[in-house]
Amino acid sequence: MASDLLSIGRSGALAARVALDVTAQNIANASSEGYVRRSVRLEEVSSSGGIGTIGDISLSGVRLDRVVRNADLFRQAEVRRTGADAARADAEVAGLENIEVAVEQSRVYDAMVKFEGSLQQLVGDPTSSSLRANVIEDARTMVGTFNIAASALDSVGTGLRFEAGDAVSQTNTLAQELARVNLRLARAADATSDQTALLDQRDSLLQQLSAFADVSTAISPADGTVEVRLGGASGEKLVSGGAAYQLGMTTAGNGTITFDVAGVAVAPAGGSLAGKALALVKLADVHLKLDQVANAMASAVNAAQAAGVSLGGTAGAAVFGGSTATGFTAAGLTLSLTDGAGIAAAKAGEPAGSRDASNLNALRGALAAADPTGRMDGLLFDISGTVAGRKVTRDALQTIAGNARVSLAAQAGVDLDGEAANLIRFQQAFQASGKVMQTAKDIFDTLLAIR
Amino acid sequence: MTTISTSTSAFYERSTMDLASLRAEAEKLQASLSSGQRLTRSSDDPVAASRMRQLSRADSLSTIDTANAARAAGDLQLTDGALATFAEYVTRVKELATQAANGTLTDAQRAGIGQEISAIRDNVIQLANARDSAGGALFGGQSAGDAYSVQPGGVARYDGTASAADLPLGDGQSVSPALTGPQFLNFSANGTPTDLMAAMKLLGDALQAGGAGAQAAAQDGIAAMNAGIDAITTAQTVVGSRLSWLDLTAERRSDLGELRSSEENEVGGTDIASTVARLQQTMTVLEASQASFVKLANLSLFSLLN
Repeated sequence: MASDLLSIGRSGALAARVALDVTAQNIANASSEGYVRRSVRLEEVSSSGGIGTIGDISLSGVRLDRVVRNADLFRQAEVRRTGADAARADAEVAGLENIEVAVEQSRVYDAMVKFEGSLQQLVGDPTSSSLRANVIEDARTMVGTFNIAASALDSVGTGLRFEAGDAVSQTNTLAQELARVNLRLARAADATSDQTALLDQRDSLLQQLSAFADVSTAISPADGTVEVRLGGASGEKLVSGGAAYQLGMTTAGNGTITFDVAGVAVAPAGGSLAGKALALVKLADVHLKLDQVANAMASAVNAAQAAGVSLGGTAGAAVFGGSTATGFTAAGLTLSLTDGAGIAAAKAGEPAGSRDASNLNALRGALAAADPTGRMDGLLFDISGTVAGRKVTRDALQTIAGNARVSLAAQAGVDLDGEAANLIRFQQAFQASGKVMQTAKDIFDTLLAIR
Repeated sequence: MTTISTSTSAFYERSTMDLASLRAEAEKLQASLSSGQRLTRSSDDPVAASRMRQLSRADSLSTIDTANAARAAGDLQLTDGALATFAEYVTRVKELATQAANGTLTDAQRAGIGQEISAIRDNVIQLANARDSAGGALFGGQSAGDAYSVQPGGVARYDGTASAADLPLGDGQSVSPALTGPQFLNFSANGTPTDLMAAMKLLGDALQAGGAGAQAAAQDGIAAMNAGIDAITTAQTVVGSRLSWLDLTAERRSDLGELRSSEENEVGGTDIASTVARLQQTMTVLEASQASFVKLANLSLFSLLN
């Protein structure tokens, strides 16, 4: 008989102690980010009989088999995937909202309507110097709002690129960190607390990484190291074993950005990097359209102006300046006519001081035909419609990501009530093992008491 | 048996998400109530925002149409007053011509009448050079200077343009706010085209010259003044109908303005009753969620185990 009641009791008490420790660790980390609930797996220690001892009872108590990490790989991958989508939509909507604010709050549209109105008012009394001055001042305000809108758009672009650059460097830091974790995982012994902590760290890093770009992961079943590819399963390797590859960003002439990993181009489809890249594409488009509106307005006014004569009877000079080879731009638009008398309200050939307003009417007709104000309304509608649409997508993606997070937390997180029950259970197990040792002592004393 | 597993962090995360979304909803309703505007930015409702922009553009242009219409009405009233004075002068000249046509008058008496007619003619020329509300020649069309100038030899010449400018009244409507001098001062007397100033000069000069032709000239003068009165009365009718056209367009503008403001209210305004009801509903749900959250969060096995 190879059993020893005292050592069985001791092993039971030890196992209960370990289980209590794990429970305490769970309670302590109930709100730690990325902590996955641990549980202990215990195994009976016994041996079957050998030669000559067949039928023997050989019980040796219990031992700790392993500390189980209750992580569900599928749910973790879902959290990363949906999180990347939500981060992309979030970054894109934030960028688009800034674009909307830049164009709308600059009040270009209102200034254009005022300019139109002051031209219409001038028809009532084409020689009035106050009405002429009013036209010039409204034109000045309009030029100012175009410039403000353009510079606001530029600063939105600068902000987006700065954030994208920051996200790139954070991605690189996370990738290097992951490579280091991979190295340590390859050396860590199986099922030790060291390994579980490293696995926690690995999963937490992956989750942080997925906020910046969509990553696909391949986890080695042998040692738990992870290979990370950026931009889907067929993307470029970002982390492989102990090596991390550098993610880079290139800015194009129109302000849009592209990414590469170690020189090979990648196009992330998720994460904040993708969102910012998309917002920058829209920004370039909006900027171009704003320039077109400014060009339509300025060239229509200047062309009509050249066809008439000013209050002094001289040929009309250009109202707007700052034209480039490709026409007027919102940023470069300037007011070159500063004297109201220079407005060519009368048609060519009229003498100085003429009350003729036919060229002014032609100017208004040209503006009505080019309809820059209507196009500005269209541009605002385009931006705000895009924002409204993307907001719906973002809300849906955030709900999905939130649900994935909750479902992972429900499975991998710590339930304090459950831990409280475990605490009682393992405490009782410890007390029972103590009782076993007490019994062993009593039996031994009984044997000693024989005389 | 299926088990619903929930962890403490999942419970807190879910509660935070729900409470935050309820709170955001309540704040949005509150903002819409306090501003009276349903839209705080275009992306809240792009179609409505675009409609609001178009309405406010129409509103602001309509304000200018109203100002233009007021200016046109002012000029037309000035024209109306001047026409009445013209008619008085012409009537007076006709009276004088009738006196002069009397065969019992001496040449000296006729010369006196002729002098009075010449003086009246000077007044008529001054009146024809009247100014409009903007300081331009009222009867000069679009000319920069006076409508009529007196040439050497006393002949009054029209220096203005052929027509007056039209003033837009919105919706593609327009009105001409003034008449040009020739439109009501030119007429045809005794079969020959002439104008009021020329006819008065002819009459005044002939009466002052006296002699055999003076009585006949007075007879011709009566006919010319009759034609002149006709021309002026016609012009008064034209001005009257233009003024009533202005009234009509003003009515139409204010109707359209009312329509626009009611549409603005409908598209962009807050429906107070339904918003308050929704806010109340959201607040009730939020309060219930908060109360149940506190209850559930306090419910821990640890507090029951001794």
